[in-house]
Amino acid sequence: MKISMGPVLFEWGRTALKDFYRRMAFETAADVLYLGEVVCSKRQGIHLDELEPLVRELAPSGKELVVSTLGLVMSDEEQENLHRLKDLAVGMGLKIEANDMAGIGVGEGHALVAGPHVNVYNPATLDFLQEVGVVRMVFPVELPADSIAGIIQAPRARPVEFEVFAHGRLPLTFSARCYTARAFRLSKANCQYKCGDFPDGLITRTQEGEGLLSMNGIQTMSEKVHTLIGEVVRLEALGVELVRLSPQSRFMSEIVAVWRDTLDRRLSPEEGLAKLAEFNGGEPFCNGYFHNKPGMSYHRP
Amino acid sequence: MKKVEVLAPAGNLPSLRAAVDNGADAVYFGFRDATNARNFEGLNFSESEAVQGIDYARRHGVKANVVLNTFPQVNDPSPWYRAVDAAARLKADAIILANAALLRYCRERHPQLPIHLSVQASASNAEAIRFYQRHFNIARVILPRVLTAPEIRALHEKIDVELEVFAFGGLCVMAEGRCHLSSFVTGVSPNIEGVCSPARAVRFENTDGKLRTRLGGALIAEYAEGEDAAYPTICKGRFEANDRVYHVMEEPGSLNILEILPQVIEAGVSSLKIEGRQRTKSYVGTVTKILRQAVDAYYEAPGAYRAKPAWLRALNATSEGATHTLGTYEESWQ
Repeated sequence: MKISMGPVLFEWGRTALKDFYRRMAFETAADVLYLGEVVCSKRQGIHLDELEPLVRELAPSGKELVVSTLGLVMSDEEQENLHRLKDLAVGMGLKIEANDMAGIGVGEGHALVAGPHVNVYNPATLDFLQEVGVVRMVFPVELPADSIAGIIQAPRARPVEFEVFAHGRLPLTFSARCYTARAFRLSKANCQYKCGDFPDGLITRTQEGEGLLSMNGIQTMSEKVHTLIGEVVRLEALGVELVRLSPQSRFMSEIVAVWRDTLDRRLSPEEGLAKLAEFNGGEPFCNGYFHNKPGMSYHRP
Repeated sequence: MKKVEVLAPAGNLPSLRAAVDNGADAVYFGFRDATNARNFEGLNFSESEAVQGIDYARRHGVKANVVLNTFPQVNDPSPWYRAVDAAARLKADAIILANAALLRYCRERHPQLPIHLSVQASASNAEAIRFYQRHFNIARVILPRVLTAPEIRALHEKIDVELEVFAFGGLCVMAEGRCHLSSFVTGVSPNIEGVCSPARAVRFENTDGKLRTRLGGALIAEYAEGEDAAYPTICKGRFEANDRVYHVMEEPGSLNILEILPQVIEAGVSSLKIEGRQRTKSYVGTVTKILRQAVDAYYEAPGAYRAKPAWLRALNATSEGATHTLGTYEESWQ
């Protein structure tokens, strides 16, 4: 299986973002890098004009580079940017990851990845999306293993690649409202870029102190890190071709290395899990969705 | 001038009659299974009830739309396709669909049946709407609750499908159809099973003078004595973030656009939707009646329209927390 580095979902600022992609490209065993802002168009990440030089800079790494697009598209400006991103990706021969039907619509006829925010819950939907250009899909994070199997194993006219969100805080939903700004009694229009102070999201606990969610601007994520490292044998057997690791602010190179070693059987899944736990500060993981259970729960593989 | 439509929910036949009798221009309902997003016990329509409901609506000049807004399951998608066929056979005025596979099936098999794109399809922009229009010739889109009133107006100018917007009722604060908060704590996906925050995952605990509400084990809120407890959903939960305890996403309460009704109508919407197929017939009757009065008052004298305090009081009384919000229609809410 290949390792993909999902798009950075947090606001790290353009310098840190570029450094991150350089490290992932040249210093890790990741096979695919997704570049581009998925969460909020107000953010100060990599500007459109900087994307092309960055792609050229990363190209010698030999990684497959994919342009990711916004998860919740609302404004005219966001739609104009989608067209520009599409032109850039097509011009450079890169796939486009669509995370909203606007992305599918704008990219129609070109090589598309249906990202985890495009709802594909059954083979017939994938058939349709393949006809409009989808060559790879990332399963919605809530799909259990049985549904993943059912979609992969369905007969189809043309092959398509399957990617599973395998490690990182789960992206659970988008809203028009910014919850990081709200935590500071600010509105989105005057957000003061508060999300930039929370490189892995703002932790939200229940009144009993249990970690529940992580607020990342207009995106709500899981507080726990989800990992399927214990399930790599099953993922392979299902026919999953790519595991997506979702960027976090610390230990990402180490996490890629553990995944590579586990996929290559240099580590057992148990050993891989134990190593990942070290990089997670001993905090518990979750993996319930894969087992058809609440996503926040953890089940032994 | 073509008047904006008042569209009312019907969880059963008595509610459908209440909607029709109180001035709805159209009603919407789903079949009694996982094919629609209010799959609660004892709710929704069998095929014979659907026949009676459509007949009652039609005799009173009211349209009837059938809702099919969940995603067919991998192992057995047949109930969804059967429901599409049933809606066509019963000659519903429109079918509300969210899933591309069903949209295609419906367009090919039942070209005469108008399609309304469900809010669960999460089409919040012109590009997405044009995509659905190009492939499935949708007649109307039900907008997710993510746009402000000026954004809706701008959108209307760019596309040529009808717009339906939520006017009153429970407020999803997330992009509909793409929210995994409920499945995250309960394991039950609204997209698949058609129910958010299912009652079987809810617990109310009363100990040491405190009321605690839980969903799937997660503590959603803790209330002091005398406080009103809301039905536990994650998005209306009271949690701790940034060193304070508050409704991190949204307070319990209802969406109510009556105070900005002229702005919403003038944005070019075709239909004002009342949420609440899970609610009682008296809720449906009350809300429909007030919306009817408000819309009629607007058309009588658009410049003189004011939301009457009595309307707001009556609507607040139907709503959890007895409060209301303009929600995302107002930019400051975001």
